[in-house]
Amino acid sequence: MRFVIQRFLLFVAALLAISVVIFAALRVLPGDVATVMAGLNSPPGRVARLRAQMGLDKPFVAQYGDWMGGLLHGDFGKSLLTGRSITSTVAMRASITFPLIALGLVVALVVGLSLGVAATLATRPAARSCFHFFGIVGGSIPALWGGLLLILLFSKGTGLIGIFPSQGFPEGGWHDFGGALASLVLPALTVGIIDGASLMRYTRSALGDLLSSGYLDQAMACGYTRRQAVLKVGLRLAMPQLVSVVGLMFAGMVTGVMVIENLFALPGIGSGLVTDLGNRDLIAVQSELFMLAAFFLAVGFVVDVLHRLLDPRLKSSLEGGR
Amino acid sequence: MADAKSRNRRISGRGDASLAKKIAVVLRSLWARGEGKFALVVLALWLVVSLVSLVWTPQSLWTTDGYHVWAKPSAAHWLGTDGTGSDVFSWLMAGARTNLLIAVLAVALAGVLGMALTAAMVSRSAAVSGVAVVVVDALISIPTVLIALILAVPMGASVAVIVIACGIGYGLNLARIARPQALLAAGSDYVDSALANGASWFSVLMHHIMPNTMPTMTVQLSLSAGTAVLAESGLTYLGVGVPSGVPSWGHSLATSVKFIDVYPLTVLWPGLIVTVVVVALNVFGDALRDAVDPVANPALREVA
Repeated sequence: MRFVIQRFLLFVAALLAISVVIFAALRVLPGDVATVMAGLNSPPGRVARLRAQMGLDKPFVAQYGDWMGGLLHGDFGKSLLTGRSITSTVAMRASITFPLIALGLVVALVVGLSLGVAATLATRPAARSCFHFFGIVGGSIPALWGGLLLILLFSKGTGLIGIFPSQGFPEGGWHDFGGALASLVLPALTVGIIDGASLMRYTRSALGDLLSSGYLDQAMACGYTRRQAVLKVGLRLAMPQLVSVVGLMFAGMVTGVMVIENLFALPGIGSGLVTDLGNRDLIAVQSELFMLAAFFLAVGFVVDVLHRLLDPRLKSSLEGGR
Repeated sequence: MADAKSRNRRISGRGDASLAKKIAVVLRSLWARGEGKFALVVLALWLVVSLVSLVWTPQSLWTTDGYHVWAKPSAAHWLGTDGTGSDVFSWLMAGARTNLLIAVLAVALAGVLGMALTAAMVSRSAAVSGVAVVVVDALISIPTVLIALILAVPMGASVAVIVIACGIGYGLNLARIARPQALLAAGSDYVDSALANGASWFSVLMHHIMPNTMPTMTVQLSLSAGTAVLAESGLTYLGVGVPSGVPSWGHSLATSVKFIDVYPLTVLWPGLIVTVVVVALNVFGDALRDAVDPVANPALREVA
């Protein structure tokens, strides 16, 4: 328990630190949103009035206080540009981004774990080189290019085997469930296969280490075949290590998702953030960046705690065990 | 464990005079393997093309051929032209140097930051090591792209955004990976005996502790270079990386994206080049792992 509390305090401290960094980074911005909105050749008085309206003329600390106070109440404020509530905009975008990340993760886990196990069990040299090739090349493809290749192959209309839509999200959102899901297939495959290739390499190396460690020899001495030993004993033993890898992979996946959302014209958090950044929509950008950072810090926290719980060697340091 | 310790003892305390010899041995071991050969050839080509592109490209980057827009590959335009009539091959050649610069600078920054953080984490001052550990643990889960987006707000699209974001992200990663080895070395007998002989902590750090983390750092930095090349293409596409007008592979890839339906072929080259280079860097890193390990590579032990 002590570890969990310590780790949680670290999480909160990191959250505060990153909020200050984000806030500070946005204040040193040259042309702010007031200048953009007023237009380049507007009289200076107009810009000043707009700034006052938006609270941009208050001291930094007061602005920071306002922002944090709102965040604590779950209120991210209003977009300076559109006047719409950022909370609802972000919620709408998240309803695309999070399913996309979840689907991508599922693809990565299925591809990574199954191919990782298969690669460990493979004995024929040709098969081994095939797995090796996929592991190295799959993980080295830029997400943008991987997405383009999938579009060239599978996009409706222009692809060689046109099955899936490759642009946009259905008007009705998730009410059009089939359409929404179909539009996420190619993006999810892109991030999933690329990350799955890396996960496969980790799985294979973790299982390979175990194979030479004696644990699996013991399992095989107890009557398991090689395949059973790897599947039943090896995977369980490798789990703590793999959870850490998946956690890190998750952070890496966000780069892929941002690029992929733009490529497939999905109005998610990633593409929204790029738009808001271009518009200099300060409050929207800082709230979105903070949300994303908070999300990844939370993932890091959960992964560390899970790692502790799953690894029996680390468990002794937890008071009273699980 | 005993083996690892004796191995560490053998590496540490060597003078820098043999560094060149060691590098030669490592390169020879890399060349002896098929994969290592591939990696060395690709990386050497990358360097050569970057240097050549400074003085010569088949076509000038800035002359656009209005009569030959989207031209097919020909003797004049080896890979054809793009939508403005610019020579695709020349832009890819020139892109090589931007990407090389980004990879080298990002890795250098990551190396310096990673070493400084590692040194801080094994510091004898509990305050310094405590702060370093908290900083690394807290920030390690922030994705590099997020750091880049935060930086891009004040800085705009620039090469510096990619370099600094990658440098911070990979530096943190480096410190986390090197920490166990640094701690192991810091708690070892030879560090104790050096200190007992009157050596300062700084000299112990430089001569006995950091050298032990070097094999891991080298491998990790080589892998980071590959990630930096990938990051360049992603960030440039998002509009926060290499600014428009500066040749880079990410730039070539991003501009070709708009015309994928009409001219799918132009999409092929930049992506293929990035993939081959990143594969080479990853293979290089993997091969390096064995080549710089004195246990796996006996030739390294011969260099006194």
